Amino acid sequence: MNLKTLNAATLILLLTGCSMSQMVVRTSTPMLDGGIKAMNHETDLELAKTAMPASLKMLEGMLEEDPGNGLLHEYAAQGFYGYGYGFVEDDDPRRASALYRRGFDHAQQALRAAGLKLDVLSTRQQDLEPAVGRLGRKALPALFWGASCLAKWIDMNRNDPVLLAQLGKAVVMMDKVLLLDDSYYYGGAHLFFGVYYGSRAPMFGGDYARSKLHFELARSITGGKLLIGDVLYAQYLARQEQDQKAFHDKLSAVIAAPAGLFPEMALVNGIAQRKAQLLLKQEKEWF
Amino acid sequence: MLKRTVLMFTLLCLGTAQAAEQYVLKFATLAPAGTSWMNILDDWAKQVAHDSGGRLIFKMYPGGVAGDEPDVLRKIRFGQLQGGAFSGHGIGLIYSPARVLEMPFLYRDVHEIDYVRQHLMPDIDNGFRANNFEEIGWMEIGFVRFFSRNPINTIDDLRKSRVWMWQGDALGQAFFDATKVAPVPLSIADVYTSLSTGLIDTVPSPPLAAIAMQWFTKTSYVTNTPLFNAIGALLVDERFFKKLPPDLQQLLKTTGTAVGEHLIAETRKDNDKSLEVLKQNGFKFTMNPGDVKDAELFDIRDRAAALLAKSGYIPQEMFDRTRKLLEQYRAAQAQNKPAQAQPH
Repeated sequence: MNLKTLNAATLILLLTGCSMSQMVVRTSTPMLDGGIKAMNHETDLELAKTAMPASLKMLEGMLEEDPGNGLLHEYAAQGFYGYGYGFVEDDDPRRASALYRRGFDHAQQALRAAGLKLDVLSTRQQDLEPAVGRLGRKALPALFWGASCLAKWIDMNRNDPVLLAQLGKAVVMMDKVLLLDDSYYYGGAHLFFGVYYGSRAPMFGGDYARSKLHFELARSITGGKLLIGDVLYAQYLARQEQDQKAFHDKLSAVIAAPAGLFPEMALVNGIAQRKAQLLLKQEKEWF
Repeated sequence: MLKRTVLMFTLLCLGTAQAAEQYVLKFATLAPAGTSWMNILDDWAKQVAHDSGGRLIFKMYPGGVAGDEPDVLRKIRFGQLQGGAFSGHGIGLIYSPARVLEMPFLYRDVHEIDYVRQHLMPDIDNGFRANNFEEIGWMEIGFVRFFSRNPINTIDDLRKSRVWMWQGDALGQAFFDATKVAPVPLSIADVYTSLSTGLIDTVPSPPLAAIAMQWFTKTSYVTNTPLFNAIGALLVDERFFKKLPPDLQQLLKTTGTAVGEHLIAETRKDNDKSLEVLKQNGFKFTMNPGDVKDAELFDIRDRAAALLAKSGYIPQEMFDRTRKLLEQYRAAQAQNKPAQAQPH
């Protein structure tokens, strides 16, 4: 490197306020995109389960160098959610709770980078609503993963009034996702509301017709190729409605779905098939 | 020899058949899966299955999957379910005099309620039996307060509010009639939406329920004068209970009583914690002790009691016994010694 180049690099660093390590981190994000894509294509669940913790630690390592990097926080929130949901919560809900919490903390940082200056947990819902309402499309991933992590964190701690009191905030964030782009992450916001309205009796705010509608909308976005929607339908709505036939048929269809149905989301479909098998074992107990 | 072998074989078969006889108790509750309540009920089911050697097993229907309380009662009468955890609403549909335990402004604290309940329980149990239910355990939902959009410091403030009343609730109706409040009768399923649209602006609820149902997100004030302590009971269809062998009846009763006590302790803890959560969420406490004169509250209580006695929902005799028990308890407390109930 000659002196001129060195000076130019120094000037860029000074102008952007970046350290050398931040620069390195930021230039490597395309590689992370590739890594996420490769993980989503993974068909070997065991390989994915083993590989994910290392990727998450690498992300956190990069965030040590560039703590204000909203994109990395989004990836981390997504990663902690995916690892907790796919590989931990069925066996160890306590550990999953801690993972969702970490995911939510990253989402909160990503939201900050996207313009939300409030702390979600300590702000009253009435004050959070207008602030979230002002956010634009830039905040979409952080809102989605933040709401997802928060809801699952609460789900793992349904006996804690402190966390139960936060549920409305997850709904506020996911409502905004629906408004910004309901097809984001394969209609994930519709799956969220399918579960939200389908997992409770009407007297507790459940609404089976709305739940069904959201599940149908999510299904239409991927043409039924993302199997997790049918798993959630069976697990929550069919169980709540005591519709054993729907429970059995949907889960059986998920298990019978051909490999290669949706290559770009092979990992999630693999997880869905494993969860469907676990849920079918509960059929006798639940119906 | 052959005869003896055949006899032995027959006896063995009979023994096996008897040992394998299994009773399935389909039990419904509104408590959602994963909550403290449901965790305790699930542990109860495991304990009973274990202690009975698999002869008595529960099949739990949590989170209202079997419908609300009137639905569950109907299903029990048709034999589709054998038991459930009920709130005062459901209890009132089975044996309404038990609701004397949730009479507004009658009890000063939980110790008074515990004392009265302990002495009324044999009669309440007989009342349930006369209506084809066996009481297995007693529980509480917690002290009910008014959650409101606007501050409620006086009974007049309450009269100006649009207060929700559980549709068809005789005790609630008597209370509101006595208070001269015109409530808005709604199914519990419509409360959240009605708070959002402004059809109602006030809901009576224990703190934990207000959080679990998200009603607290639509209100900013909560009264600091509790209305009453909402009751609950674990009840089993008498026909099912009578079919059980004596040892399983005993097992169900013993474990059910312990589970009820556990549920009461956890509910009290959860409600205390919920009050703290409300404080952290900036809730303002209204109608503090002393804001409304005791005489005014007692007048409302007595007029509501008279209405309920007149309709037969809670007979006068039940009120008289309760008052006598409270007098005994308070007299003993004043002298700082344990209360002794007088035979009635």
